[in-house]
Amino acid sequence: MIVAARNNSKLSMAGLAGVLAGVLLAAGCTSGGGSGTDGQAPGSSAAPAAPAQPLKVELVTTAKVPPGGPSPKRAAKQAEPGLERFLDRYLTVAFVNAAGGEAGWDGLIGLFDKPVRASARKQLDALSLGAAASKVSAIRPSRASARAVVLYGEQRPQAATVRLAFDGTADTAKGTGQVHLRSVLQLLATGDSWRIAAFDSRTGPPK
Amino acid sequence: MTRRAPTLIAVLGLVAALAAGLVVATSPRQPATAQDAAAVTVQRAHAGSATPTLKRRVVLLTIGSDSGAPKFGRSGAMESGRADALQLVIIDTSKRKGAVVSFPRDSYVPIPGHGTNKINAAMAFGGPPLLVATFEQLTGLTIDYYALTSFDGLTDIVNKVGKVQVNVDMNLRDHFAGAFLDKGRRNLTGGQALAYARARKTLPGGDFDRSRHQGQLLLGGLTTYQRQVAEDPAKVLTWLGIMRDEVKTDLPFPELLRLALLATDVPASGIKNIPVPSVAGSAGGASVVRLLPGAYSLFGRLRAGSLG
Repeated sequence: MIVAARNNSKLSMAGLAGVLAGVLLAAGCTSGGGSGTDGQAPGSSAAPAAPAQPLKVELVTTAKVPPGGPSPKRAAKQAEPGLERFLDRYLTVAFVNAAGGEAGWDGLIGLFDKPVRASARKQLDALSLGAAASKVSAIRPSRASARAVVLYGEQRPQAATVRLAFDGTADTAKGTGQVHLRSVLQLLATGDSWRIAAFDSRTGPPK
Repeated sequence: MTRRAPTLIAVLGLVAALAAGLVVATSPRQPATAQDAAAVTVQRAHAGSATPTLKRRVVLLTIGSDSGAPKFGRSGAMESGRADALQLVIIDTSKRKGAVVSFPRDSYVPIPGHGTNKINAAMAFGGPPLLVATFEQLTGLTIDYYALTSFDGLTDIVNKVGKVQVNVDMNLRDHFAGAFLDKGRRNLTGGQALAYARARKTLPGGDFDRSRHQGQLLLGGLTTYQRQVAEDPAKVLTWLGIMRDEVKTDLPFPELLRLALLATDVPASGIKNIPVPSVAGSAGGASVVRLLPGAYSLFGRLRAGSLG
């Protein structure tokens, strides 16, 4: 009895322990990422990337119009597609296509008005992936939003002030990390596109 | 011992498994997605800003016309009136410094093709281009652009931007211009700004004081603009829209925008307000203002790149 009891006790203890361990481990796994969408090992550089969202700038536009001009709503609507294309282009060359660092920065600098290009080239780290580009293999956008105020005149958009925000995930050999951009861009309309005439920008962790 | 060894190992293993489970269970919540898995710092914090870097110096002639102001009973076109407020605004874009050089409207000077006359008559004779040519001949400076407004324009600008802050430098009780202001920092309405710009007859320095006050108004406008843009960067467009509606200029829009952006970066304290040295006189029975030798010395220094 005693042996049997001991044996039973050993069995029941082992069983209980196994169940407890399993539950706790399961709980740990659940807590550690079991409910994640991809079930990957957290923080692992070998982890498969989350499905990349295509870059899409969520843009809200308002317009200032001259007396006798179109309605502000109509003027904003007219300006929106071109602005959206420009901001998409900016984020693409500054972040998405900058990964790897092989593309260089001429494409980005070309988006600036000439009188501000030299300053922009000196401040790439505040405007783009900058020096981090060479160690990043891919950028996955997670949020791109902008609020624009457009000055309308001579039957077309002439200038715009844009508050731009971008967040994304960068893949590197050592793991993944976040990238952020918060900018105020002063834009000058040039025919069918825009140029950045002044900027106030920051990158890296939010304040 | 040997019989109990497997049991001990099992118990130890169980304890280890439990401990591991507990550690995992009590660890801080791990990232759920790849995006949350911020294992490395990719970007450090960087901040930067820039406004346009233009050619070394920009010279702008600002003109206040006595015509084209229906609200004040002033008919006719602005550009065919007399130029009653005249400032050369010189900005050294690389040093972010400048000067506002104010000219008395009655300055008696040569006008190309029109002999010698009061400088304010030049615009009535040949519009802004002749006035610019008169200034270029007088000072030896190249005027890049002009900006012209009227009584209506000035008052509308100030009212639309929501008053301008001016350091009023004397107590004013000028019934002729309607200027009733106490010395000190004041937020002027459009009407008050116009009165401050026009008051002359009761001022001890007459036209000289008036010129200085006009320069103060320009600098007050700059300070007000910078303060508003610092709070809301889109105010650049608000001001540009107002200027477009109230000011006639030969500045192409891209250059106007670049100057407006540059102006956010030029402290008003770095801009000198310089009334041209002059003295009251007469010519042919009319009261005029004659420029003193110091005026020509000033023009020489400006030509040489100094800001006065």
